[in-house]
Amino acid sequence: MHRLGGVGISAFDRQQQSKRSFAELSNEISQAQVDLLHAQLAQFRSALAHYASTHRERIRQEPSFRHAFQQMCTTIGVDPLAGPRKGGWWAEMLNLGDWQYELGVQIVDVCVSTRERNGGLIEMGELIRLVSKLRGVGGDVITEDDVMRSIKTLKPLSAGYEVIDVGGGKKMVRSVPRELDADQAVVLAVAQEDGGRVSEQALVARRGWTEERARTALSNTLLRDGLCWLDDQDEEYGVSYWVPSAMRWDE
Amino acid sequence: MALTTHTTPSGFVLPSIHAAKPFFTQQPNPATQKTVTENWTRLILSYARHKKLFNLRVEDATDDKSEWDEVLRNPRIQRRLRPSHLAAILSSMVAANQAMYEPPNQTSSVLLFWRSPEEWAQVLYDWANSTGHLNTIMTFYEIVEPPVPSPLEGLPLPILRKAIAVLTKSARAQIIAVADGEGVRFLPGVPGR
Repeated sequence: MHRLGGVGISAFDRQQQSKRSFAELSNEISQAQVDLLHAQLAQFRSALAHYASTHRERIRQEPSFRHAFQQMCTTIGVDPLAGPRKGGWWAEMLNLGDWQYELGVQIVDVCVSTRERNGGLIEMGELIRLVSKLRGVGGDVITEDDVMRSIKTLKPLSAGYEVIDVGGGKKMVRSVPRELDADQAVVLAVAQEDGGRVSEQALVARRGWTEERARTALSNTLLRDGLCWLDDQDEEYGVSYWVPSAMRWDE
Repeated sequence: MALTTHTTPSGFVLPSIHAAKPFFTQQPNPATQKTVTENWTRLILSYARHKKLFNLRVEDATDDKSEWDEVLRNPRIQRRLRPSHLAAILSSMVAANQAMYEPPNQTSSVLLFWRSPEEWAQVLYDWANSTGHLNTIMTFYEIVEPPVPSPLEGLPLPILRKAIAVLTKSARAQIIAVADGEGVRFLPGVPGR
């Protein structure tokens, strides 16, 4: 009968010998795999670094390119904007983390400096216009997408910055922690349609509201939240309300 | 409607908020009204400085011929500041020491401090110093209606008195009774004060 380990005392030796051989072999194989992985990783890294550095300017300047790059990063499960600490060399390589933070700071700047007149609510287009002006860049360089991302990076500050959708494809950025009810969102949307002006009559006519509902929503927006201003010299309605965040300010 | 700045015929640049219709309404929300009042105060003082105006009356809000018309009314948007609103703004300015009721004991007419009494005191002392009037006695009339143009020309006497009071406190001037009213003597004082 053949026994794998042989017989007698020599079987121990043989068994140990083969165990050692197997261990060596396994070590070799895993070492090779690790090496290969390292090599691949290094290659990937350098390719990505190369890509990022050659396209850095384009990534920073072209909104569509930046968007595509961000999408690619999301697909492979990396957030290039996770910030210098968390994102490590990604952010370093692209300088995008800083770019995003910088944009965030400028968003805060605009929101705070316009707060006294708009009550802490600013229309997205207006915000982008003012931020672009602050940076001294043209109209299409900063996109809504960039602003939304930057506002996300502001989250840890818990300053209450939030993007709200008022319907009709219009977005507003709220820089004070305050809840808006559904009717107020409608008030803001109607004001958007009319250059900032909204009135009881317009809400009744365009949204089919009762006068009571319109009056309540407007007085909440006006008195409780300070998000709109009263105009008691309105030619058409006698009294109207203006949402400063929906008005266009050139200065 | 874009809100833009506007340059008046007198060369004053009205801020863009002056083109906002609700800016001319007294706001029921106190926080909003505070913003409105601050903006009106700034506007009134800078316009007064621009045109060297000292008097502002509540009636100016209803008078199209007023020298304040360019500011208190915006014909481009058909809005005007209501007298009651102006009265409220004036009262807040008096409370903030940016104006004083003149004559006293009424609330419809003010003198504007587009320079504070302390600033006027400095202007006055610098003027006396540079024109060699230290140690001489001058009447108030000579100061506000000088034969040669000076920054103090037309300064209302109540403001002049306040400015002199500031100088008296720091021993740089002394009120003297003179034959035809009041006079003042400027003292060399301590340098740097």
